[in-house]
Amino acid sequence: MVLDKMIIIRWRAAVIALSVMLFSALSHAQEQDALPSYTATGPHIQVSLLANKTALVPGTEVLLGVLFEPEQDWHTYWRNPGDSGEAPTISWQTDAPLAFGDIQWPLPTAIEVAHLVNYGYEGANLLMVPVSIPDDLATTDALQISADISWLVCKEDCIPGWATLVIDIPVSPNGADTPQAGLFEQTKMLLPSEELKSGLFEITENNLVFEVSQLSGQQWTLYPFRSDVIQHAASQQVLSMDDSVQLVIPRSDYFYDQPERLDWLISDGTRGYYVEGHLSSGAAGISASAATDTSLWLFVLMAFAGGLILNLMPCVLPILSIKGMAVQATSQKLSHKLAYLFGVLACFNAFALLIIALQQGGQQIGWGFHMQEPIVVVLLAFLFTFIALILLDAIAVSSRFAGVGNSLVSGESAMSNFSTGALAVIVASPCTAPFMAAALGVAFVSEPPVTLLLFNALALGFALPLTLLFTWSRAISWLPKPGAWMERFKHFLAFPMFATVAWLCWVFAGQMGSQLQFVLLIMLILFCMFIWLLGHATKPVVKVLVSIGLIFSMVFPLWLSVSPNVQGLKGQGASEQSSDYVDFNPQQLATLRNNDEIVVVNMTADWCITCKVNEQVALSSNDVKQALTQENVTYMVGDWTNKNAEIFEYLTQYERAGVPLYVVYAGNKSKQVLPQILTTNTVIDAITKAKQELNHVN
Amino acid sequence: MSIKQFFAALALGVSLSVSASIKVDAPAPDFTLMNTQGEAVSLSDYQGKYVVLEWTNHECPYVVKHYNSDNMQGLQRKYAEQDVVWLSIISSAQGKQGYVTAEQADELTASRNAAPKHVLFDTSGEVGKKYSAKTTPHMYIIDPAGQLRYAGGIDSIKSANPADIPKAENFVDVGLSALLAGNDIEKKLTPPYGCSIKYQS
Repeated sequence: MVLDKMIIIRWRAAVIALSVMLFSALSHAQEQDALPSYTATGPHIQVSLLANKTALVPGTEVLLGVLFEPEQDWHTYWRNPGDSGEAPTISWQTDAPLAFGDIQWPLPTAIEVAHLVNYGYEGANLLMVPVSIPDDLATTDALQISADISWLVCKEDCIPGWATLVIDIPVSPNGADTPQAGLFEQTKMLLPSEELKSGLFEITENNLVFEVSQLSGQQWTLYPFRSDVIQHAASQQVLSMDDSVQLVIPRSDYFYDQPERLDWLISDGTRGYYVEGHLSSGAAGISASAATDTSLWLFVLMAFAGGLILNLMPCVLPILSIKGMAVQATSQKLSHKLAYLFGVLACFNAFALLIIALQQGGQQIGWGFHMQEPIVVVLLAFLFTFIALILLDAIAVSSRFAGVGNSLVSGESAMSNFSTGALAVIVASPCTAPFMAAALGVAFVSEPPVTLLLFNALALGFALPLTLLFTWSRAISWLPKPGAWMERFKHFLAFPMFATVAWLCWVFAGQMGSQLQFVLLIMLILFCMFIWLLGHATKPVVKVLVSIGLIFSMVFPLWLSVSPNVQGLKGQGASEQSSDYVDFNPQQLATLRNNDEIVVVNMTADWCITCKVNEQVALSSNDVKQALTQENVTYMVGDWTNKNAEIFEYLTQYERAGVPLYVVYAGNKSKQVLPQILTTNTVIDAITKAKQELNHVN
Repeated sequence: MSIKQFFAALALGVSLSVSASIKVDAPAPDFTLMNTQGEAVSLSDYQGKYVVLEWTNHECPYVVKHYNSDNMQGLQRKYAEQDVVWLSIISSAQGKQGYVTAEQADELTASRNAAPKHVLFDTSGEVGKKYSAKTTPHMYIIDPAGQLRYAGGIDSIKSANPADIPKAENFVDVGLSALLAGNDIEKKLTPPYGCSIKYQS
């Protein structure tokens, strides 16, 4: 304390002496030299306050900087100092309305101290701070800016220091570079890139797995902003694949919260990028506790707004438009008018209850989870095609189908209103609207009452526009006048429906492969043709035959999407089938184990970064490949990218809620569950051990 | 998925970290070290009592912060009265900052009006590494059953400035009060701050 007071006093005296000297002696022409660097000296370090311009020019930005010049072998710290140490701080004071930015930290280095690691700077280091000068700042000869600075300088021992440094700088329309401007320019080269990268992270038992996209190479080191995230002294395993870099780093003992967001710097010593990292895997990342009392109402509001906007989505709007245009100001019973609302509420609550039931069963699901089932995708494709045909008036009015269709979308009875509500929810289910995602994210990880609350808010928002039309006669007067345009508009609305069908077919291709997608497309066309035929058939025999054809066209793709026999066909589609492994199959696993075979089971998913890292590091190395292709070894891979009941059941056996999971079986003699982060040796040792166990018995 | 497990772990309030690292709500590793009288002192001697471990180095500015302000000694005296055993451990290697002889250690205790039950010497750094002690100060609380209940910093403001002490939340004080009142500790793990421990290697 005495020391730093002395520094300040000595320093204030120096400033005053210098200022007096300067302002009395120096002429305007010598202004460039008129800006001395103000310096404080502490043990083992000199600290100076610098600027890159001789004057503050209104409407521009100036860089102020604090230059730390420690003695040789002494260092100062980065924003996260690592295992020990402390980052410098700067706080600014001035009378003028200047906007001081954040410290621009140059790329740090990892400094080893015994078995610990610090992040910081050896040698001189300039911390720059951008300062915005308002347009209307009055010119003056000397504006005083002072900085309260604290630092810690260390070799092995550490010495903290504090100083208040003052700089007097004119405000003037003209400013030139100071002699230190070159130092500022050099320091800019040491800053991380302005390009902000996005990243993902996953948390495993002992490690954190980070992924940074649009980056390649293996020379990267990760520097987290928080000091309690990784073990700073641990070696970082770096992998480069495709267009991304993955790092596996042991977790800090002090990392125990569940952040949604972690930011870090990734640097190779000469280049660096700031990375905004998010917890991997969608809705599951939103913690249930996020929905606190206050924020819960916000999410309810968002769900309501999302429901309202959902009306405008291309899959929903056509159906509701038809209904809306058909509304007449008739005096119906209230229950009749509210039937649509009840339909929407019933369907949303059915959805919510289904989701709660599935979650109680331990499944992680999100909005549109049913889209993981190809059979649902097929059903929706037919439903949307059917609606589009109704909109185009392609279904003969006399046919029974048209009757069904009309009552669904344009009838006037309470039952029809109810079913329009239910249908609207079903067609809305593949869509999401703005605001919905966040609210549903919370709904999916919350307690059942909160899930129900949010779903009902969504339902009310969704049902509001049409319910208003039904119940409030004045609202009808807002509608455009009926006329011939309505017919044309109705026909036009068929096209958004067809667009939705195209998207569903694309989803189906991703699930089942392009060959089966072709089959589905042909069946959709046949379906249209049979519907058209049905309208023109007069003889009963023909009608029966056409109806059979119609049913076949629908049932065949449905059967395909659930039949296990099409697995082979499927493989030729979306994913390349390698001969090195077999797809996971519990019966086959049991058989192999009964035959005293060694089985290596790998449960993986496309969205699991940890799985990809393991496949790259351990499972695709030549040694492991060789071990896996030995005579009595079977490598079995389960893909959990899409929902799969058999894999789910298997994971549950091992008390896992998700992937990765690796198990090595030695027949029925033993099983070893491998850690979530694999190395080549872990896998080979496990296989060798399994072999020995089998040999002992034989 | 690892995230689910993580939620589960969080619900249990258990850290999942393993290997050569410390675990809260798990048995604290036992040790035997010499005190300033040359007597062997073991953690297991104090089974049945709350024990505080304080890693220290009297020359470290962060330790100085808490001793010149009487913050650390205040805690030692306050909890000595409540039968809590306070052990100050020095892991500085011979020739490094903070290394003291037994006489110097006793002198420091007397001159600073400190009240640890014992000052213990861990010149080899073995015990420090067993506890993953990184900084001075670095604090641990062990319960009467020998379970580690707290590990981390002395308080919530990471600075060497004594003016920050009244503004900071003292994790050891809050933690011990909670335990003695029969409650659980809310913050079981906080990142420690200070000088690196001057280990031999």
